[in-house]
Amino acid sequence: MTTSPTAGSLWRQHILPFTLLLGLLAAATLAGDFVLHRLNLVWVGRYLGIPGTLLIIGSLVYSLRKRKYISSGNPKTLLTLHEVGTWLGSLMVLLHAGVHFNAILPWLATVAMGINVISGMVGKLLLGRSRQHVLGQREHFQLRGLSRPEVEQAVFWDAVTLDAMTKWRKVHIPIFVVFAALASGHIVSIFLFWGWR
Amino acid sequence: MNRTVKIVLAANLIVFAILAFVYPHLMVGPGKLIPGHGKLEEDCFACHAPLSGADSPRCIVCHKPEEIGRLTTVGLPIDKPLTSTPFHQKLTRQDCVACHSDHAGVKRFRPTGHFNHGLLEKATRDECQSCHKSPKDTLHQQIRGNCSQCHNQEKWTPATFDHDKHFELDRDHNARCVTCHLHNDYSRYTCYGCHEHTPDNIRRKHIKEGIRSYENCVECHRNADEHDIRGEYGKREGKRDRKKHND
Repeated sequence: MTTSPTAGSLWRQHILPFTLLLGLLAAATLAGDFVLHRLNLVWVGRYLGIPGTLLIIGSLVYSLRKRKYISSGNPKTLLTLHEVGTWLGSLMVLLHAGVHFNAILPWLATVAMGINVISGMVGKLLLGRSRQHVLGQREHFQLRGLSRPEVEQAVFWDAVTLDAMTKWRKVHIPIFVVFAALASGHIVSIFLFWGWR
Repeated sequence: MNRTVKIVLAANLIVFAILAFVYPHLMVGPGKLIPGHGKLEEDCFACHAPLSGADSPRCIVCHKPEEIGRLTTVGLPIDKPLTSTPFHQKLTRQDCVACHSDHAGVKRFRPTGHFNHGLLEKATRDECQSCHKSPKDTLHQQIRGNCSQCHNQEKWTPATFDHDKHFELDRDHNARCVTCHLHNDYSRYTCYGCHEHTPDNIRRKHIKEGIRSYENCVECHRNADEHDIRGEYGKREGKRDRKKHND
């Protein structure tokens, strides 16, 4: 990757913190699953799907506000609630899923949720800052007197990474629709076949 | 979302919905059924009632309560019954899922081999030996029935037998059973199983006090407090009263 030593690479400054936050979700899931098994509380994990789903549904208020379906509520506060709510909700759903591979439908829903979380975090943590980073790099190389092709060559890999991230962002809404449909299928099947007692 | 993405999404979801109806055991079933129920895997409603879960009346269609433990579901005698006495006929109500689960994913959350004795009729509940064999140790081999004297019906161990009535297992006597009860014989005990109470040591102390009959230790000693002495010697010397005054 071609960047100046002072500016640092896109990887170190932006993608690494993103990876760490995603890793924290994975680590919290594994640790929670381990603790539940150790304390013989596996049944708790079974019911964590309910509050997890409710948290994710509650966090959608931000999406409604953003698309002007509702007009009340501070967008910035709602965005924070959306980020925290979906992260925590996803953690609960992942604990609920555990590492038990039974039915296909809920696992597809879990995978869709995972992609949704990653794409959401790309939007939150990377996209804006990364765009600024690439623009700053371009300006920096131009000021150093590099020609336009030389500048493009210098920021090539950062620009490719940014382009990939932009595509990730576009995945967020369609994959949410898939997640919502698959999760609804799972929930309907539970209500249809489960004995609540 | 553009129109193409919407169409692709809708097509995928329709495919998943069709698969859920054609292969429900793979798409929504929580794991495999027990081998005996393998043929029912694609027919969820053979066992499940809509919105209320696995349904006992549907189990009873194949598993007739009067035949459970005696005959198979096709009417053949059972070669090796799991219990010596059939007991499903003596249940107060037919609630199959109170004890049984089927899908592998559901079994994980249920304690296996745990039977709620409260589901049995009162008279049957007290006849433990009709289903359970006595343990092989010498203490239990001497006993017939009346298990509730020392055990409850929730779990066999720990026993509800109150050892403190006979001897307090306090901090000085926090020992393993075999230290005092040798050879798995709980009808006898010895106090010479530890270094503190050697025969010589005990003999010397008791002779010094003028006590010649000291073989049945718990007749006078019920705990580690050497001043809390019961039985004839305790009464004569007022040792118990003295302890009470000290308290």
